[in-house]
Amino acid sequence: MTETSGALVGVRIVDLTDERGIYGAKLLADLGADVVRPEPPGGDPLRLRGPHREGTPDGCSSLWHAFFASNRRFFCVDLTDDERCKQLQNIVEHADILLVCDGAFGFEEIDLERAREKSPKLVVVNTSSFGTEGPWKDYLAPDLVAGAFGGSVGTTGDKDTPPLKTFGELNFMLSGAYTAVAALSALYSARETGAGQVVDVPVNACIASCLEHVLMFVWYNERMMFATGPVVPRQGSLHWARTYVVMQAKGGSIMVTPTPDMMAQLMWLVEEDLHEDLLDDSYMEPGNHRAFVTKLMAILRKFVGMKDVEELFFEAQERHSPYGWVLPIDKVAANPQLEARDWWVPYRVGDVSTKGPGAPYRFSETPWSLGPYDGPGADSAVALAEIGWGEN
Amino acid sequence: MTRPLDGLKILDFTHVLAGPFATRLLGDMGADVVKVNSSTRSGPMATTHPHYLMWNRNKRALAIDMSKEESRPFCRQLCERADVVIDNFSVGVLERWGVGYDTVSPSNPGVIYVQMSGMGEGGPWSDFVTYAPTIHALSGLTHLTGVPGRSDIGIGFSYNDHQAGLHSAVAILSALDCRRRTGRGQRVDMSQFEVGVNFVGPALLDYFANDHAAGPVGNRMPYDPVAPHNCYPCAGAVSENVEDERWVAIVCMNDEQWQALRGVMGNPEWSRHAKYRTAESRVENVAELDAAIADWTRQMEATKVMTICQSAGVPAGVVQTGADMAERDPQLALQKFIRSTTDEHPELGAMTVDALPLKFHGTPCDEYKRVRAVGEDNAAVLQEWLGMTAEQVQKGEEEGIFT
Repeated sequence: MTETSGALVGVRIVDLTDERGIYGAKLLADLGADVVRPEPPGGDPLRLRGPHREGTPDGCSSLWHAFFASNRRFFCVDLTDDERCKQLQNIVEHADILLVCDGAFGFEEIDLERAREKSPKLVVVNTSSFGTEGPWKDYLAPDLVAGAFGGSVGTTGDKDTPPLKTFGELNFMLSGAYTAVAALSALYSARETGAGQVVDVPVNACIASCLEHVLMFVWYNERMMFATGPVVPRQGSLHWARTYVVMQAKGGSIMVTPTPDMMAQLMWLVEEDLHEDLLDDSYMEPGNHRAFVTKLMAILRKFVGMKDVEELFFEAQERHSPYGWVLPIDKVAANPQLEARDWWVPYRVGDVSTKGPGAPYRFSETPWSLGPYDGPGADSAVALAEIGWGEN
Repeated sequence: MTRPLDGLKILDFTHVLAGPFATRLLGDMGADVVKVNSSTRSGPMATTHPHYLMWNRNKRALAIDMSKEESRPFCRQLCERADVVIDNFSVGVLERWGVGYDTVSPSNPGVIYVQMSGMGEGGPWSDFVTYAPTIHALSGLTHLTGVPGRSDIGIGFSYNDHQAGLHSAVAILSALDCRRRTGRGQRVDMSQFEVGVNFVGPALLDYFANDHAAGPVGNRMPYDPVAPHNCYPCAGAVSENVEDERWVAIVCMNDEQWQALRGVMGNPEWSRHAKYRTAESRVENVAELDAAIADWTRQMEATKVMTICQSAGVPAGVVQTGADMAERDPQLALQKFIRSTTDEHPELGAMTVDALPLKFHGTPCDEYKRVRAVGEDNAAVLQEWLGMTAEQVQKGEEEGIFT
């Protein structure tokens, strides 16, 4: 890892996470924290996750790992070697923050009680599937199963599909983001009081807390205009408010919404002479809003079907309507806004130079930066030297 | 100190979901979040609308009519007292009100400004208007979340709004730690679009490094050979309505779990076929495999399938609805994830909330104060932050400044 000027320069973190928390460690590492990621001599098992860059040396080919384990210092630990386990313990005792996931590499070997005794300011963040107690605490929950428990799968998909998982690792990116929030909040508290602490991050509750309308309908469905009960069915892209949906235009799909200014959308339809009876005063009467929205969306479907998707998107945005062109990955990669903001950053994966995603935020004084990505144990000697241990 | 962020002062100009979720997180952890609002708000932004109730607990409510010139000096003084100022307006609104970062930071050098706009500052799309479904569409999330051949499904809830809120909290807390070291605050420009594109990071790296454009794969893993990896129908639906269907998710991440699943199913004849022997061959024959597993799961209730699978070491989980989580999930109940506010709303009584999912052992976050009406905390906030007297506040209210 190269020197960075990030906001968290000087914060020392040991990263013993798996998929459930690794995104949190990435967020902290990318902000400049010195994050050491111990791994077995054969390499982190997550180095096997695809996609891979073909022709890249073993241990360095995983683009998944290059993304999620960015800006780390990789430290090899043979857990059968007592001396190496002592070194791992020592590194933890020199850290400000320890990120762990139960069952992840090295977790069992750490004596947490001793580490917290020797380093009272130490913050320990434990990201687990269900917390540390309860009838499901030992249940196995990879991302799809975690999303099933957490409610995101049940509300994604369409009537004619199974409940669907979000693409990639989106459930664990929620628990990962919470992991970073937990670490930094506890660090803030430790800086103020001198006392570190343990924070539990249960994945199931993390997902359940990020479902927008799902619990809102359980508690308030009687007050919702389009509710038929406490559960909103899977309904494809149709939003619970029924005012956002993906429609088919010429040449592609587009997310269409008449919000936030329905009158402006209506006037656009009037300009196009497609408004049918929507100017009828009866639609403005109290109690008829639902009928108005239903008719408006039906007309919009016809309107959108007549338009070229790209032209429609830019015209809508010109009119301050938040339409969204449904873009495939190649078009995202060529997005002019990202280009203009110089968002992409160079990635070096093994011997290969490519580019990839930049920062999700831009700090005015402490820029985000990305260092090269290395193979297993690349930084062991440096990490050990810093705590007074030789490589031997 | 009883909660981790006690003493932190946040001036909150956010609205709708992404911004209010960020400040809800910080308020849950003890920050003094002062939400600036005006009585002209209506619809989902009215303070008794369910959507507003969901995202605005644990905040104090201050009313300022920013359309009035006379309001702006008070607003500026508040910014000068804040640790953090956060908004999710379009770029430039706070500057037009005379309380932008460049105006305030000379007199409050430690202040941290977070601007959560749709597209960030600068660039040809910087004035574009976005909600989460817009971001999902533009970032590739809608295209990728679905089944092959369709690009009209996408994520069934405003995922990116929540993530933008979480990322804002990360940015704020990082900038605060930096301030402790340098004595200086800074400005954070957050593009909710860039937050969203970040979530398809591995797919973008795959595109740039391998020239391979990922597409929707349903419930399959997009890159790794894993099967079964899907949701399967179960018995127990109380009607034929979609919302009453019962499903279970089952995943075999390795051959050992597949063998365990075979055992749970009673080692049926079909499962012995060579085409299911390896992960790669199971993926090649996944349609048949899924159909055979579905024939088995249809005979049982989802909870039963989950329990027997998990007992054998096979990852499986009931596909839960909101009602399942609120009323039947034993883990969420144990975690006290759903609880009542610690005080009662004058119109709505005690309110049910979903708690912060983080358990701080040293500084528990167990206080959930109800949503406040616009301006309900004018006197307390203006007294504590600006040292104003009750009479001065009342005069401001009568003049339409604090309304």
